[in-house]
Amino acid sequence: MDVVQIFLACLASFGRMLIAYIISFIVAIAVGILMARRRYAEALLLPVLDILQSIPILGFFPIAIAIFLALLPKNIGLELAAIFLISTSLLWNMIFGVYSSVKSLEPEVLTMASIYKMRAFSRLAYIYIPVARAAIAANSIISWAGGWFFLTSAEVIGWGSEEHRLFGIGSLIMDFYSSGSSAEFYTAIAMLFAFIMVSYILIFNPAVNTATQQRMLPAFGKVFHYIYKLISALWELVISIGIKIESKRAFLYTIILTIPVAAPATFSMSTATNLSMGYQFLYEFAENFLLSLGRVALVILTSLTLAIGIAYLALVKKWGSPIALIGEVLASIPAIIWWPLLSPLIHSLPWLVSFIVFLQGSLWYSFFNVMLFGVPKIRADVLDLAEVYRVRGANYFRYILIPSLIPSIASGTLSAWGGAWNATIVAEYFESSGKVVDLGGVGAMLCKYTYRGSYDYVLYTVLLWALMIAIFNKALWSRVFKLVERAFVVE
Amino acid sequence: MQHLISLVNIVKSFGEKGKKLKVIDGVSLDVDEEFLVILGPSGCGKTTLLKIIAGVEKPDEGAIKIRSNTTYGFVFQSPTLLPWLTVLDNVALPLMAKGVSKGIAREKASKYLSLVGLHGFEDFYPHELSGGMKQRVNIARALVVEPTVLLMDEPFSQLDPLTAEALRAEILDLWLSGVTTVKAIVMVTHNVEEAVLMADRIVILTPRPAKIVKIIEVKLPRPRDRRAKEFQDIVDKVYEYVS
Repeated sequence: MDVVQIFLACLASFGRMLIAYIISFIVAIAVGILMARRRYAEALLLPVLDILQSIPILGFFPIAIAIFLALLPKNIGLELAAIFLISTSLLWNMIFGVYSSVKSLEPEVLTMASIYKMRAFSRLAYIYIPVARAAIAANSIISWAGGWFFLTSAEVIGWGSEEHRLFGIGSLIMDFYSSGSSAEFYTAIAMLFAFIMVSYILIFNPAVNTATQQRMLPAFGKVFHYIYKLISALWELVISIGIKIESKRAFLYTIILTIPVAAPATFSMSTATNLSMGYQFLYEFAENFLLSLGRVALVILTSLTLAIGIAYLALVKKWGSPIALIGEVLASIPAIIWWPLLSPLIHSLPWLVSFIVFLQGSLWYSFFNVMLFGVPKIRADVLDLAEVYRVRGANYFRYILIPSLIPSIASGTLSAWGGAWNATIVAEYFESSGKVVDLGGVGAMLCKYTYRGSYDYVLYTVLLWALMIAIFNKALWSRVFKLVERAFVVE
Repeated sequence: MQHLISLVNIVKSFGEKGKKLKVIDGVSLDVDEEFLVILGPSGCGKTTLLKIIAGVEKPDEGAIKIRSNTTYGFVFQSPTLLPWLTVLDNVALPLMAKGVSKGIAREKASKYLSLVGLHGFEDFYPHELSGGMKQRVNIARALVVEPTVLLMDEPFSQLDPLTAEALRAEILDLWLSGVTTVKAIVMVTHNVEEAVLMADRIVILTPRPAKIVKIIEVKLPRPRDRRAKEFQDIVDKVYEYVS
């Protein structure tokens, strides 16, 4: 057994994840701030991003292939395609985190900035970016886990008869499973676990603890400390240069507007215009969509219940720290592991394995939203009230815990909704060395069309998918959020 | 001599077409080197007027004439400090944003923090300070740009009575002793006694939309005694005009 190979594979995947993370970080700051400060950007991007976050990574294959694989030499193109795909798993909630932080700035702070004639760069450096720090940190954890979850989908880009595999832990685990090398299989999983846990304990948890000035997540060591010093020093340098330039010139404004939002839109539009969709396809889609919808609904209800239960344990029993770490590691387990791991159940209870995979793709959004955004913000006086009047058990849930957590429950459920839809591609369809598990649903549909290389049908599926999500967001979620805002936001 | 600030027939409304709310309805005012207080009930538009003077809001109609080289410091109703900066950096912020080097900005910030009595608190964060201390930081920040005009928006309304009284005395001290570059103070308040205590002239506004009812001169020598008859007489006179 070649442990070195496994280690190197972990390193390779880790490197890809890191680059994707840094790119997503920068884009999230740029786009989030733009959306919060400019009405037109907000009006345009908010609904678009909402939809994009519910489109699974496979939906972005056409773009990845059309841009990176077609235009660049194979090796570079493949790596960039993988990094691009990974970014689509990381990006959206980070953007929303930045956006809502900047939006919630006290208006007087902006008045203050106007009075002291702070221009764009100073505002960016002293106001917008600092205020978003905590949200970026917390969302980074959620994103990091999400990235690992879909890692294999980015490392094994299958398109019809072509299959491009990148050297990495995701594809390696797949290989071990299909060749039946169980010792290697379990070793690889164990090493992946270790890598992930280390990345949390040494880097992400200290980062969040520092940014939120709390001690909730288990952290260790000085690695982050040095990274932080380095980045701070660089940042100070950037600020001083930026402000000097800005004060000397009348107007200096740099917008890093990226995301090829326009690209997939125009791509899809142009192909969609040669539609001859046919009644049959629509029927197939509708059938599968309803099937998936039922599953998604069940999954998010379960996620919700579990998340509240876990929050209770964290709050009342004070198990917050270990729960958070366990959650982080479990959330990062790549989806691809579950089917092989639970293979004895594939024949007898495939729907159970499917359910577990679904949960793994969505529970954590509810969990982290509640744990990182909800629990720390519960008003101390409400908890004191519960103590003084000995509110316990069911009453505690009904009158104290749930009402206090409602805003984070709502946003967590919305993210879980997106996560569940994303997870359909790994929960409804699984294929390895001849074995195929096909449970129907839109995720399975998308997988089949992708692996068959049917560009058109992939596009149609994604378009209809996006349309349905848009309808649901408008009809259901905006109402939910309006209600939450009216009834539960404290001020 | 030209006035420091001249407002001519300022009109301001808020809202979109259809739901316009007229806030200021033709206000003309001259500000010289004095302590001017703008008095009116809550919601009458006084803060908006102050922001128009500061140049942060633009009037719909009317003109503003300002003597050249006039700079502003603004003391907000709430401290409006950035939670991620230390007290020192919060005060230094207006200078740093203008491109002044960090070292000089911090030096000046330190000087003004001492002036407001917060020497030794430079490295604290806002959440570690009491309300009164935060408001002092707010004041130091307004002074650090060495303004010629100090604008204050109900600066004591969010403080408890004891702290408010202490801060009023400190502001008057700073004003009268001439240690700052401030030539004029324009303060907005809804507290009649506070106005009579501090002002050279009181501009009384109507409820929304704001118009000037009366401008009352307060010629009492400072320090002023609230219980003195002359003081009470002026308070009564002001109340007559405040509807």
